[in-house]
Amino acid sequence: MGTVHAKSLDSIPMHGRDLTVHPDDLMEPPEQVNDSKQEILENKDVVVQHVNIQGLGRTKEDLLGYEISDVFHSKNLIDVMRKAHIARQRLLRLGIFKQVEVLIDTSEGTDALPNGLDVTFEVTEVKRLTGSYNTMVGNNEGSMVLGLKLPNTFGRAEKLTFQFSYGTKETSYGLSFFKPQPGNFERNLTLNLYKVTGQFPWSSLKETDKGMSAELNFPLGVTNHTLKWEGVWRELGCLARSASFAVREESGHSLKSALSHTVSIDSRNSAIFPSRGALLQINQELAGYTGGDASFLKEDFELQVNRRLFWDSVLSASLWGGMLYPIGGQSSSIADRFYLGGPTSVRGFGMYSIGPQSEGDYLGGEAYWAGGLHLYTPLPFRPGRGGFGDLFRTHFFLNAGNLCNLNYGDGPQAHLQKLAECIRWSYGAGIVLRLGNIARLELNYCVPMGVQSGDRICDGVQFGAGIRFL
Amino acid sequence: MSLAAEAFVSQIAAAEPWPENATLYQPLKEDQILLSDCASSLAVQAYLRMCGLPVQVVCRANAEYMSPSGKIPFIHVGNQVVSELGPIVQFTKAKGHSLSDGLDDVQRAEMKAYMELVNNMLLTAELFIQWCDDATAAEISRPRYSSPYSWPLNNILAYQKQWEVRRKMNAIGWGGKTLEQVYEDVSQCCQALSQRLGTQPYFFSKQPTELDALVFGHLFTIITTRLTSGELAERIKGFSNLLSFCRRIEQTYFEDKSSST
Repeated sequence: MGTVHAKSLDSIPMHGRDLTVHPDDLMEPPEQVNDSKQEILENKDVVVQHVNIQGLGRTKEDLLGYEISDVFHSKNLIDVMRKAHIARQRLLRLGIFKQVEVLIDTSEGTDALPNGLDVTFEVTEVKRLTGSYNTMVGNNEGSMVLGLKLPNTFGRAEKLTFQFSYGTKETSYGLSFFKPQPGNFERNLTLNLYKVTGQFPWSSLKETDKGMSAELNFPLGVTNHTLKWEGVWRELGCLARSASFAVREESGHSLKSALSHTVSIDSRNSAIFPSRGALLQINQELAGYTGGDASFLKEDFELQVNRRLFWDSVLSASLWGGMLYPIGGQSSSIADRFYLGGPTSVRGFGMYSIGPQSEGDYLGGEAYWAGGLHLYTPLPFRPGRGGFGDLFRTHFFLNAGNLCNLNYGDGPQAHLQKLAECIRWSYGAGIVLRLGNIARLELNYCVPMGVQSGDRICDGVQFGAGIRFL
Repeated sequence: MSLAAEAFVSQIAAAEPWPENATLYQPLKEDQILLSDCASSLAVQAYLRMCGLPVQVVCRANAEYMSPSGKIPFIHVGNQVVSELGPIVQFTKAKGHSLSDGLDDVQRAEMKAYMELVNNMLLTAELFIQWCDDATAAEISRPRYSSPYSWPLNNILAYQKQWEVRRKMNAIGWGGKTLEQVYEDVSQCCQALSQRLGTQPYFFSKQPTELDALVFGHLFTIITTRLTSGELAERIKGFSNLLSFCRRIEQTYFEDKSSST
């Protein structure tokens, strides 16, 4: 029997749902001399005697043992090929190999069985250090961004990344260390150290966060859980001298030490234009019990359901909601509250320009809900079908939402009532463009309705870019 | 303030009369406020009382960061926020209240010169004693400054402030001074003030001016604040006319409340 090579992918895949093995990705059946031999191959029992990995440098072997051990259990040749291919996918998802090739050959040597096979994975490790350097210009600011990545730092698929951004206005940096559990890549630990600055013109606020966090991810059945502790030193300041006094009162330093837990169930077939499946993500954060000044309990959830309709169109419904409950009598900080409005949430309104405000500065609210109903269709007359045109969709949408502060002394009936009055909503249509697998651009024509005094609207054409859309 | 900003503030300020709900913000009185901030705040309060303008004093832990210039105190009047005595005096002048209208140009220049003296000498000496003297910094300034915050933010902020003040002291040439030299400088400053005051009730004959408010704010606070060493207060108490000046202003303008700090 000859050797069989498996296909090799050119790029290293990222983490996420896209790594799941799709049935159509599995390897093609091997070339056969004639059809009668295929039957023989399927029925012939084989024993996998050796599984080797060649080309290892700094990677430790015990890590890889978990990924390739399944190949030993193959019973016949087709099984060997299938399991070898799955093992190859698993090796690639570790993110430490540039290339993995599989060789299946008959065993040789003194202890070789007549039906014994040797499977060899030939790997090429990624470079020890990769760097990137970009300059960015935008928003009246220029900055230089330097990135350093050390994949597979200590040999067990750890990753150390450092990013430093030096700009005309602000400097920010981040250091991150990622360590998966050997044998269980989905269970991993991430440690972060960062300084980020943000400017929020809708609230005339600028915020500088210096902090560290430790995050533990693990799957549990169909759900994915994340446990995180975060300690942040927040400095708030007014963006302009004309900031309202309510925002001025929030200026100063505070320390937030929070534990948070996120559970998510995602059965969608894609993150950007899913045509079926649902996403449910529930997040809770408790601050104040591990030190710090800020003390609150924050809950929020995200639900999205997709269903394919006639003619390649998809109906998508989403619901977001959240509540912030300050503990210990002190009022909540503007940096913790929820914001609503803009091209990524309730379209037709200005960015985060719904809800409580003071002199034109939006202060955010302690409770909110937002819902969206979308109909996605391919572009009319389907230009560029099969290629570029598939990145676009037209969509018709209906968005609604409300953001307010609750009076926690009243009961849940009063809360629901408060959230149900003064609902802002909007409808419209537009074009959506998909960017990679993470982001999307939208150009919509929106008609906002239910506008309350104090909200800022953006009726007519609205452009939006982002990762998370209602 | 820049010239354009001054003109802008004056225009807006002149439009409205002094409201009832004007507020003055300063750090927490019991636990947080330091000598220099307390002196500046008292000076502004005295000035506003001398003008007959009502103001409510509110204590906030983040008053220093709320202030547009980063200095205490600041007042919130209508829609305007103004900090420090100099700009506040101009702000009230734009509203038609002024204490130095009766002075001629020579006297006004003299008043400005003495106010500069107080700011450069007394205020700098207060900052020096608070932050550059290790004993005072460790026992009083750092614990008080960081009291509203939790660990480790309290240490970070306190040391950050200390380094900032020490850098400033080095920049103006006070870095190498000893405590004794600073006390000497304070004595000399008080000597000059005492000579100018003489036997008059106020610095410029019968009516108080902003200079009186400023001097009162600093001297009164120094005499009534407990520091690690009482030497500074003793030096000031050595000038009897300054002492009676402080007492007189306290009785005239602050008689409805007990003495501050």
